Amino acid sequence: MQSAVLKGTQSGYEVILNESSSLEQINIDLKNLLNRLSESNLKKSEDIKLNIRIGNRLFSQEQKNTIMENINSYHGLSVGHFMSNVLTKEDAEAKFKQKYIEPMSKTIRNGQEVNIDGDVLFFGNVHEGGKLFASGNIYNMGNIKGIVQAGYPDNEDKLIIGNLHNAQQVRVGEQYDIVSDNPINNKESTVVYVNDLHLLSYGKINELKEINPKFFNRIGGII
Amino acid sequence: MGKAIVITSGKGGVGKTTSSANIGIALAMMGKRVCLIDLDIGLRNLDVVLGLDNRVMYDIVDVADGRAKLVQALVKDKRFDDLLYLLPAAQNTDKNAVNQEQVKDIVDELKPDFDYVFIDCPAGIEQGFINAVSGADGAIVVTTPEISAVRDADRVIGLLEQHPLKESPNLIINRIRTSLMQDDSYMDIDEITTHLGINLLGVILDDDKVISTSNIGKSIVMDPDNPTAQGYRNVARRLEGETVPLMNINNSVKKEGFWNKLTHLFSHKK
Ligand SMILES: Nc1ncnc2c1ncn2[C@@H]1O[C@H](COP(=O)(O)OP(=O)(O)OP(=O)(O)O)[C@@H](O)[C@H]1O
Ligand SMILES: [Mg+2]
Repeated sequence: MQSAVLKGTQSGYEVILNESSSLEQINIDLKNLLNRLSESNLKKSEDIKLNIRIGNRLFSQEQKNTIMENINSYHGLSVGHFMSNVLTKEDAEAKFKQKYIEPMSKTIRNGQEVNIDGDVLFFGNVHEGGKLFASGNIYNMGNIKGIVQAGYPDNEDKLIIGNLHNAQQVRVGEQYDIVSDNPINNKESTVVYVNDLHLLSYGKINELKEINPKFFNRIGGII
Repeated sequence: MGKAIVITSGKGGVGKTTSSANIGIALAMMGKRVCLIDLDIGLRNLDVVLGLDNRVMYDIVDVADGRAKLVQALVKDKRFDDLLYLLPAAQNTDKNAVNQEQVKDIVDELKPDFDYVFIDCPAGIEQGFINAVSGADGAIVVTTPEISAVRDADRVIGLLEQHPLKESPNLIINRIRTSLMQDDSYMDIDEITTHLGINLLGVILDDDKVISTSNIGKSIVMDPDNPTAQGYRNVARRLEGETVPLMNINNSVKKEGFWNKLTHLFSHKK
C-alpha cells in the first residue's frame, strides 16, 4: 500500500498520507508520486498548491519541514495546508476557552489578585484593594469595590460590562481610570471600552453595536 | 484537648492584646483553664495588661531555645486559682527570634493542659503573623469600625482563607461608639459584618475604663455592671457554644449617656 496518495478535489489537489507509515517511507513514496506527477500532463507554468492530509496524527514542525522541502524541490509545486483530524490538548483548550465564559462567585479580598484566562461572568465581590484581571471580557453581576481589568495585560479590544460605580479602578488593556477622579455616576450597567483614540470610554449596553461592532456581531446582534 | 485560637488584626492598636486578656479572664471566671501566649516579641505588653509584668522569669524565646522548660516560663495569674497562665514574650529580641515550628511545638505542648490557648499576634502580616497562625486551630480577627482597620482585617482574612485553619475565622468589632457611626470614615456593625463575610463573635464598646483599668493591671471584664465588660463576657460564652444575642449598642450607650448627664447635673449643683 502506498503511504502517499494524490487526490483531486473541488478545491484542488490533496495528498493523503497514511497515518501508520513512517516519515521515511512517506518521503520515498512522495518522491515517486511527484516524479510521476511532474512527468504527466501538468502544465509547467501552472503553480499547484498541495494540501496534505495527515489523518489521526500530528507532525512536528521539523517533520512537516521534511515533507515541505521534498515538495518544494519540484518546480511549480508547493504546500498549502497540513490538515489533521486531531488537536493537541493545548489547542483544544484554547479553542474551548475562546467560546467559554468562566462563571465565578468569589470574594477577592484586599491584597488578593485573581487572574482569569478568557472571559469571566462575575457574581462575587472584589473588595477594596482586591484585583480581578481577565485576559478576555469581564461581565459583572457582582459587587466590585476594587480593581478590575479586562484584556489583561494589553488587549484593548476587550470590554467590562456591569455595575462599576463602586470600583477603585477600571482598566482595559493598558488604559485605566481612577473611578473617584472620573465617577461612573450611572448606577445601571456600564460598558467600559477603549475607543479609536486609545482612550478609556464609557457607554451603555444599548450602544454596544456602535462601541464594538465585531463583538456585537459575534454575540448574535444584527448590524 | 484544648483549642488554640490566634487573636489577630493586621492593623496595630485595634485591641488584640486587650481582647486576649479580657476574653481569657472571662473564660477563667467561667472555670475554664486558659493559657495566653504573648507573641508580640520585642514589644511585650500582655504581661502589663494582666498586671503580671514583675513576675516574668523566662519568656517564649527562652523556651524555644531550650534555656527554660515550658512550665518554668508560664506565669500564673493568682487571681484565678489554677486557671489562667501567661507565656510572656521576650523583650530584648525581635520577631525572628522564634520560628513557625517552635511556636507550633509550644502550642501543641500546651493544648492538652488547657481548655483554651490564646495567641496574641503582633500587628502586620510578616513573620510574627505567620508564627502566630502556625499553631492555631482557629482565629479571632479584631477590627475597629475605622475603614483602615476594616481594610486590614479584610487582608488578614484573605490570608487566613488561603491557608485555612481547622475552624473558619471569627470577628470582633472593638471600640464602637454610636456617635461615630454618622461619620463617613467609620462603618457600622452590619456593614462591617456583611463586608467581611465572617461570623461575628462579638461587639465591644469604646470605653475609657478599658485603658484606665489596664494601666493598673486590672481588666475591665471583671466589672460586673460595665457594658464593655459584658461584651467580653458574651464573647467568652459564645466561644463556649452558648447562644447569646448581640448587645443592643444604642441602649447601653444611651444609658451611659443618661447617667453621665445625671452626674454632670449633680456636680453642677454643688
Ligand atoms: N474597647 C476599648 N475601649 C477603649 N480603649 C480600648 C479598647 N480596646 C483597646 N483599647 C485601647 O487601645 C489601645 C490599643 O489596644 P491594644 O494594645 O489591645 O491593641 P493591640 O491590637 O494589641 O495593639 P498592637 O498592635 O500594638 O499589639 C490600648 O491603649 C487599649 O487600652
Ligand atoms: Mg498587642
